[in-house]
Amino acid sequence: MTRKALGALVAAAVLATGLAADAQGPIRIGGSLSLTGTYAKLGTYQNEGYKLCLKHVNDKGGLLGRKLDLVVYDDQSMPATGVRLYEKLITEDKVDAVIGPYSSPITEAVANVTEKYKKVMVTPLAATTSIFKKGRKHIFMVISPAEVYLEGLIDTAARRGLKTVAIVNEDTLFSKAAAAGAVDIAKKKGMQVVFQEAYPKGNTDFSALLTKVRAANPDVIAAATYFDDAVALTRQMRELNVNPKLYGVTVGGDLPEFYDLLKHNADYIYGATQWEPTLPYPGNKEFFEAYKKEFNRDPVYHSAAGYAGCVIYTEAVKRAGTLDSDKVREQLLKMELRTAFGDYKVDQDGFQLAHKMVTFQWQDGKKVTVWPDDLAQAKVRFPTPPWNQR
Amino acid sequence: MNVVITPTMVAQVVVSGILAGGLYAMVALGLALIFGVMRVINIAHGPLLMLGAYTTYFLYAGLGLNPFLTVPISMLVLFAVGLLLQRALVFRVVDAPELSSLLLTFGVSIAIVNLAQLAFTSDLRAVEYITGSWVIGQLAFSKSRVIAFAFAGALTALAFLFLQKTRLGKAIRATSQSREVAMVCGIDVRRIHLLTFGFGSALAAAGGALLAVIVAIQPEMGQVWTFKSFLVIVLGGAGNYPGALLGGMLLGLVEQLASLFLTTQLSEVVAYVLLVVVLLVRPTGLLGGRQT
Amino acid sequence: MRRAFLAALAAAVAAFAIYPEFGTGYGVRSILQVFMWIALAGSWNLVSGLTGYVSFGHVAFFGAGAYAGGILITQHGWPWPVASLGGGAAALVLAAVIGGPCLRLKGPYFAIAMLGLNEVLRALVSYFEGLTGGGNGLSLPTLDASVPIYYVMGLLAMAVTAGTYLIITSRFGLRLMTIREDELAAEAMGIDTFRHKMYALLLSAVGPGIAGALTARDQGYIEPISVFPLATTITMIVMVLFGGKGTVWGPVLGAVVLFVAQELVWARYPYVHPLLFGAIIVAVVLAMPRGVLGLLQIKYHLPRTI
Repeated sequence: MTRKALGALVAAAVLATGLAADAQGPIRIGGSLSLTGTYAKLGTYQNEGYKLCLKHVNDKGGLLGRKLDLVVYDDQSMPATGVRLYEKLITEDKVDAVIGPYSSPITEAVANVTEKYKKVMVTPLAATTSIFKKGRKHIFMVISPAEVYLEGLIDTAARRGLKTVAIVNEDTLFSKAAAAGAVDIAKKKGMQVVFQEAYPKGNTDFSALLTKVRAANPDVIAAATYFDDAVALTRQMRELNVNPKLYGVTVGGDLPEFYDLLKHNADYIYGATQWEPTLPYPGNKEFFEAYKKEFNRDPVYHSAAGYAGCVIYTEAVKRAGTLDSDKVREQLLKMELRTAFGDYKVDQDGFQLAHKMVTFQWQDGKKVTVWPDDLAQAKVRFPTPPWNQR
Repeated sequence: MNVVITPTMVAQVVVSGILAGGLYAMVALGLALIFGVMRVINIAHGPLLMLGAYTTYFLYAGLGLNPFLTVPISMLVLFAVGLLLQRALVFRVVDAPELSSLLLTFGVSIAIVNLAQLAFTSDLRAVEYITGSWVIGQLAFSKSRVIAFAFAGALTALAFLFLQKTRLGKAIRATSQSREVAMVCGIDVRRIHLLTFGFGSALAAAGGALLAVIVAIQPEMGQVWTFKSFLVIVLGGAGNYPGALLGGMLLGLVEQLASLFLTTQLSEVVAYVLLVVVLLVRPTGLLGGRQT
Repeated sequence: MRRAFLAALAAAVAAFAIYPEFGTGYGVRSILQVFMWIALAGSWNLVSGLTGYVSFGHVAFFGAGAYAGGILITQHGWPWPVASLGGGAAALVLAAVIGGPCLRLKGPYFAIAMLGLNEVLRALVSYFEGLTGGGNGLSLPTLDASVPIYYVMGLLAMAVTAGTYLIITSRFGLRLMTIREDELAAEAMGIDTFRHKMYALLLSAVGPGIAGALTARDQGYIEPISVFPLATTITMIVMVLFGGKGTVWGPVLGAVVLFVAQELVWARYPYVHPLLFGAIIVAVVLAMPRGVLGLLQIKYHLPRTI
């Protein structure tokens, strides 16, 4: 062969492989996350979970032989913005797959878009049942629903023969669902709800509310909160000397900052979390170490949920052998999986059935899992001593 | 699920209302001064309060200072910031239609909040200095709120003394009543404007510094304070400084009582309804302020 | 000159009319947003640009329309085009109810009253959960109607702009502007200022009311904090200020330019986007209180009807 011909052949070969590689470009997974705005902190944690999962998948050779690429836009914690961004991702950026945003309101809004285009979407941080009970076919829940956040607290109370419970909640989607769930569970266990009231988001002075709560003299106070309200409520409970035998909060109570801000006043308080690093799930320790190494801090459940959401999706794609929405959907519907985050199994609406929440109690500055029994690390410290005895 | 409301409960809530009212009054006084003297609607008032809170936090967390002792420092810092803002931007809208000052201060306020988010992050901070309450009989007096109230009271009293007794204070009041006459009397009106914005900011900062010990601090904490300060001024009458005190107390009490007798959710509504009702029924405020 | 302008206008309208055939879903949604802003800014201009009464809570009409439309669709099964008219009607009623008392206030008090009103409405909507879903928000049945809504919103934007033109060239508009320049003199001349201000307020409420209902349908989900935000009022105002208060095309220009600017800024600098927006507001207020068209009007002696 002449040199020229050889050269041409080599060039052609290089070109061919180059083209082939381009044709097999990375799989682009897109989503909007709350990187600024009210949910900035938690949205960022979720984003980190996604990023870590992608890194791990890529390190192991990618998905279907292709690398994964994450395309994330900032929805500024606003549902309307999220809606536009998912339109953009699907119709302009033409991503291969989508993955869910942070929070129930935003998920609720963007689910309309993904349903319209029949794009399968795993939504790891939406806890509101109603989102999944509207006849949607393409969204999949990962975490336990809001309604069971306070289950551990109420069950613990009922088992110790306590009878009365007061429920307070922030007037927003998630907290209302958590409160409603708590009311149901309390009634089922034969407890009486002696007081229930909602407060507006951003409320800082709970004196009147707590004065009423104290007058109702409940055994248990179940508070469906986010973070600032949980802190404010606790402080004022101490000031007004409100002493239930059990007091629990929801989101926010599990963040390390909760103890940082309240110090020993946070002891004895119960919280609920979708995940703890100490839980005996496969790959949990490795996830914890890897996350800490990558982002220089301990992961919270939002990161773990994000991580799991991505793992669940990629596993479904692997089992389907294709990115085709319908085939992946089939897999997601019938798949049963246990990840570092816990169990995954959904019903035909995509509603999560298997994942278990745990209830913990702050004891001497550490979160100790106390419920359910099979995952408990230690016994509860019961009853909560009155404030003036601590 | 209604709880029977006893007189003790009402008393407790009245206590909370008064304690809250004291802070409202002081912060609103700052806004009232700015509006009264310059006819500027300062939407950035809340963010200035927030900066005062952060100043106290960092002095406490970084240098271990007693947070209550940092109040004067926060006030000084924000006095300077206020001067700067006035000198650079606000003076340009002093005589302009209210739309200009509304928009300008709005722009400044979102810029300040964003800068705070960049500098401090949105992580919640708190000054964990004093918790618990003093109990007298059946009533609990939150320690942090009582001390805050005491400071607020003292500062407000000082402010009034200043306005009544000192030359500068009288000059401010004169300018507030009639700028032309003040100029004729030889008052350097521009200097008064500058100082007034500084004082207003300092009062907001004091509010923030005291709040830092009571609530969690984050960049957006000031927004609601701007609204509430407006409410107070409308209640008390614009340009009417004692009116700000009355309005502040009234707001604090109304909020707490509504929260007790109705629900906490409704207390938010009640406050704004009060604003609209007073504006419509007696726009010059309960104590009578100026018309335009 | 006029012919060329009208021809360009016709071409633009035609281009927007056929865009949905070629554009992406995102493109349609984005332009829909621009139409919405034109309707909002133009409506604010009708009351505040022409009479000088600064409505600082104008988004209240938008929110009222959004919830009215949403409730009509979800609880009474109205088809969305009719429901959006319902939204407009609700806003009209709101304006009629509060206009009476509020318009008797002067200057800054009117501004603050409108602001307070917005907050009252938001809090009330949160409270009456049975009707509005309260803090849960209101979820509309799933419907993909982006393209038809695009057209309706476009029509709304055109209607508001056309309406502004008609008003400015009419005696009614002239009287409004007289009120703006010197209310006392207007009264002295025999103009019933209160009635005129009231009409202006009513007219300015309809646009946002309809736009709110359309937006609710398009988004499929609304909650109190997302349809009553102060930032929306401010954005409306800045758009009008930028383009030229009291002009016909000022709000259109302002809406388009600022929307595009916001998109670019936000895409590239998400973490400092509010800072930059604040800077833009300050710049517009200080440097161009008359707006682009206002400046051009003075410099080139352009007609009032620009």
